[in-house]
Amino acid sequence: MSVFANKDTKVLVQGITGTQASFHVRRSLEYGTNIVAGVTPGKGGTEHLGLPVFNTVKEAVEQTGANASVLFVPAKAVKGAVTEAAEAGLDLAVCITDGVPVLDMLQIKEMLKSHKTLLIGPNTPGLITPEEARLGIFPENIHQKGHIGIVSRSSTLTYEAVLETNRANMGQSTVIGLGDDMVIGSDYIPSLDAFAQDDETDAILLIGQQGGGFEEAAAMHYKTMEIKKPVIAFVAGNSIPFAHKMGYAGEVIADGKTSVIDKRNAMLDAGMIVVDEINQIHQVLLDILS
Amino acid sequence: MNIHEYQAKKLLSKFGILIPNGKIAYTPHEAKRAANEVSARGPWMLKAQIQSGAREKGYFLEKSSGKKGGMLIPEAEQMLGATLVTPQTGPLGKPVSRIYVEAFQKVQQKFYAALIINRVQAELTLLVAKLDDGRTITQVAAETPELILKLPLNLQKGVSIAQMREVRDFLGISEKSDKHLKSFVNGLHKAFIEYDASMIEINPFGVDYRGRIFALDAKMSFDDNAAYRHPDIVRLQDEYEEEDRALKARKYGFKYNDFDDSGVGCIVNGDGITLAAMDLIHEAKMGLACALNVKGGVDKDKIAAGIKIIMTNPKVEGILINILGGFLRCNLIADGIVEAASEVGLNVPLVVRFEGTNKDEAKDILLNSKLPLIIADDMEDSVDKLVSAVEAAY
Repeated sequence: MSVFANKDTKVLVQGITGTQASFHVRRSLEYGTNIVAGVTPGKGGTEHLGLPVFNTVKEAVEQTGANASVLFVPAKAVKGAVTEAAEAGLDLAVCITDGVPVLDMLQIKEMLKSHKTLLIGPNTPGLITPEEARLGIFPENIHQKGHIGIVSRSSTLTYEAVLETNRANMGQSTVIGLGDDMVIGSDYIPSLDAFAQDDETDAILLIGQQGGGFEEAAAMHYKTMEIKKPVIAFVAGNSIPFAHKMGYAGEVIADGKTSVIDKRNAMLDAGMIVVDEINQIHQVLLDILS
Repeated sequence: MNIHEYQAKKLLSKFGILIPNGKIAYTPHEAKRAANEVSARGPWMLKAQIQSGAREKGYFLEKSSGKKGGMLIPEAEQMLGATLVTPQTGPLGKPVSRIYVEAFQKVQQKFYAALIINRVQAELTLLVAKLDDGRTITQVAAETPELILKLPLNLQKGVSIAQMREVRDFLGISEKSDKHLKSFVNGLHKAFIEYDASMIEINPFGVDYRGRIFALDAKMSFDDNAAYRHPDIVRLQDEYEEEDRALKARKYGFKYNDFDDSGVGCIVNGDGITLAAMDLIHEAKMGLACALNVKGGVDKDKIAAGIKIIMTNPKVEGILINILGGFLRCNLIADGIVEAASEVGLNVPLVVRFEGTNKDEAKDILLNSKLPLIIADDMEDSVDKLVSAVEAAY
C-alpha cells in the first residue's frame, strides 16, 4: 500500500511535450510509473515518448481511463489546466509548475471545492511512491521502498528527510511535496489522514517551513485524529533573526503567530515529536520504531 | 514587488478611494511649486518616498538634516538627498530621492486597514483596527490580537453589507460614514483583484467631520508571479530601492538575500534548505553573509552569473553550495561553478555538496576542473568542512 498513487494509478501528463516535461516523463516511465497519455492542446493525435497525445484531458480520460495528472504546463496555463483536470473527474492532480499567480490559486481553490480532485502543488517536486510511481521530478535514485510517510512544504528538505529514512534503513511508503507557494493546493491534512489509513506507513515525517499557519493547522488536526501514528516534525528557520528579510512581515499582523517557535510549540502540544535538526530524524525513527 | 506611497495612492484613487491632494517633487523648487498647487494656505505634509514602513519613527543619517525623520520635517531641502533610517530599513537606511507634498487632511479618528491573503484558508482577508492608544499595529498584533478584526472577503463580490456593518461597529464609526466606508473597502478589494496585489495596507485611514474616509498613507505590494499581466506596475518599480546584487539576481530569475554579517555565502536551491543551512551555520558560530537561491535554474550561463554574484561579494569568507537536484540538475550547477570561477577567480574556500539528479556527473565535472574546492557528503559534513577551511584560511 501507499497513499494517493501507486503502480495501478493511471497517470496522464498535461504539457507533456515541453523540454523539462519530456526529460522527467522519460525518467518516470523508466522508473515504472504507469503513465498512459499526454495532453497538449493542438498536438492531439500525435505520439510523444511512445505515449498517445490528446488535445484535452477529457479525451485522454475517455480513451485511457487515466485517473491522475501531472502538470508541467506554463504558469499562465495552470488555472485552465487544473480546471480541466477537475472537470474530467481525476482523483489527483500534481502541479510541478512554479510561478503561478496567487490570485489564480485562490480561484482554483474555490473551484476545487465543488470537485473531488486533490491538488498537490504548485511549485512542488511532486509525489513518489518508491518502486511504483513517480509523479513529478523527485530524484528517484535516493528513494527506497519502505514504511515512513513523508509530507513536506520544502522541496529540498524533503530530499534530506528521505536520506534520513534511508539512514534508519526504513525507506518511504510515499513522499509528498506540498510546495511552498503563498497558496497551495493541499496542506498537510489530507496527507496526514491518508497516511493514518495506510497499513504500510508506520510513522510520518512532517517537514515544515517558516511562514503561513500550515503547521499550526496540522497540529490542531492531529489532536482530533482517531488513528494517531507517530509524527516526527522539523521546521527550518530556527536561528533566523531576519524573518522580515525572508518576506513574511505582512503575515505577522494577520496571524499573530507564525514564528518557528510558535509552530514547534503547537506541534509539541499536539503530541508530535519535534526535532531541532533534520539529521536527528533517523535516530528518533530508530528509537520509536525498533 | 513594491511601489511608493504616492504611486499607490494615485492607483487607489482610481478605484474611488479618497486621498488628500498631493504631488511628487524631486527638487526643493518643485516642492515649493507642488505645495502651492495642492493647497493654497497649507499646512502641508512632506513625506520622504522610500519603500519602508514606520517612516515617522525614522531619523536621518546626516546631522544637517535634523533629528526627526521622515514625514514631518518641513524643509524639503534638508530631506532630499539625505538618508532615512527607519526600524525597517536596516542601519544603512535608504536615500531620499523624492518627496511627496501633501495637503494636510484633518481627521477626527484614525484606523488601520489592510487586505491580505490568508494562506491556510486561501482567502482574501480584510483586517481593520483602531489606532487610538498610541501603539503601532505591530504592537497591537503582538499584544492584543483580538483588537484586530479579520473578515474573509468573497473573491468576486468583495465585502457584504453585513460585514460592512461589522466593520463600522467594531471601529465605532458613525452611520453617516456608511457610504464612504463602503466605497473605501470596495475600492481596496477592486484594486487588489485588478492589479494582482499581494497586500494593500492603509496605515492609517482617517474619518473627517463630514464622515468622509481618506487614505492617509498607502502601501501596496504586488504578486511577482503575475507581473506579466501588469506592465504598467512593473514600470513603476524603483530600481534604486533594490540592492545591486539582489537586482542582478532577480534579472537572472534567482532570489538573493543579503544579511548583516560577513561570513558564509550560500548557494542553494529552495527556501527550506536555505533556512536549514543557516541554522547549521549559526550553530557553528559562523556569520552568514548572503544567500542565493537558484531554484528553477535550467540555464548554465544564468547559473554562472548567479554564482559570480556570491563569489564577488567582499563580505564572503567561504562559499557553501548545497544543491539537491530534482528539476535543477546538479551538472548544470557544476558547469556554472567552473565557468564563474574561471572568470572571477576563486579566492575563498568553496565546499560543494550535491545530491539527486545527475550528482555523479556533477562531481566529475568539478574534479576534472582542478579547482581548489572541497566536496562534501551531506549538509552537516559540508558545514563542518567549510568551518575548518575558513578557519585555516584566515
